[in-house]
Amino acid sequence: MRIITLTCPSCGTVTAANELEDNRVMKCSGLDCQQILRFDDLPESDCEHFLEKYEQYQI
Amino acid sequence: MKGVLLSGGTGSRLRPITHTGPKQLVPIANKPVLEYAIEDLREAGITDIGIVLGNKGREDIQALLGDGSEYGVDITYIVQGNPLGLAHAAGCARDFVGDDDFVMYLGDNLLKQGIEELVESFRAGNYGAGIALQRVDHPQQFGIADVDNEGRVLELVEKPDDPPSNLALIGIYVFSNEIFDVIERLEPSWRGEFEITDAIQMLLEDGHNIDSQTIEGWWKDTGKPEDILEANRLVLEGQPGTLDGSVAEGASVEGHVDLHETATIEHGAVIRGPVSIDAQTTIEGDTYVGPYTSIGPDSTVAGVSIENSVVIGGSNIRTNGKIVDSLLGRGTAIGNAEELLPDGRRLVVGENSALKL
Repeated sequence: MRIITLTCPSCGTVTAANELEDNRVMKCSGLDCQQILRFDDLPESDCEHFLEKYEQYQI
Repeated sequence: MKGVLLSGGTGSRLRPITHTGPKQLVPIANKPVLEYAIEDLREAGITDIGIVLGNKGREDIQALLGDGSEYGVDITYIVQGNPLGLAHAAGCARDFVGDDDFVMYLGDNLLKQGIEELVESFRAGNYGAGIALQRVDHPQQFGIADVDNEGRVLELVEKPDDPPSNLALIGIYVFSNEIFDVIERLEPSWRGEFEITDAIQMLLEDGHNIDSQTIEGWWKDTGKPEDILEANRLVLEGQPGTLDGSVAEGASVEGHVDLHETATIEHGAVIRGPVSIDAQTTIEGDTYVGPYTSIGPDSTVAGVSIENSVVIGGSNIRTNGKIVDSLLGRGTAIGNAEELLPDGRRLVVGENSALKL
């Protein structure tokens, strides 16, 4: 399984793609971090892969 | 080496306690179970720790642990979101781990002897992974490892009908960086999850040596209420106790009792350790607190006889009944119904509660 994550550039908190896709736009979950994270912040190839294999990332 | 501490999961077997919080924060001897894992990692020299968060109780866990400085460690949070399995959780930590090896520790596990031997043994050889094992009575119910005389793993089998040994995998692993490439090749199991045992089996099939350490002290997965009570008993048994709080003249205190400096035992109370009583809690007169009981903070206990139980905290227990083998959630109020009519017990009980009356 290709595990896709995004590391917050401000605080280093790591967020899995499924969480980013659920929210599309979200505030970073890091402590006191105000960084806005978007699913689209992922590399284009990761976004495409995630959406193509969407079912695999759900439970 | 880094640490990855898994703190997701729904905690369904611990409902209703986990309706309002993550299972990793349920206290054992008045300390959240997750803190024991952090201490084990730190004692093994691992201070760079990634906490993998699921969908439940993230804020509670972050509020407790913060940036880790209070524990002498540096914490990075990893949001897994959907619980897609232990291998997925490990894979989410890839950026955090970088090129290091790492210990993966299930945050609701508790073990007596710590993880230093497991880590040292892994470091001493050229291993793809190291796994902690424990002998069990019913190997058919566990993931089982077949190992050679030197502790090298030959095969892993999940819940085998014909087990090759009685050595079960417990929730503590050491991984080389090779694990991430293996996880990329994993397919979901029959239950739709990415299984860490499948990943370790693939490491074996790729020709990597897998080390193992058989844990001789106790180990508990604190997933169920009876596990919480047993873990509480095991931890209390090993604690010397410190009577820092106030013990009134006329109170009887015997055995190992850990009394917080702001806790009070009043005249006429009887305490038989091992017992732990947390901050701002008062044990009033005519109360008996018996062995293997932990009373959490901000509680009042009066008139009751209580034994082998965990009171999580913020509770008011004021009855002359007997309470044994019980796990009481935060904010519980138990009163006396003896003088009320009509005769009978009066209950306000949450979803998934279990009572024996």
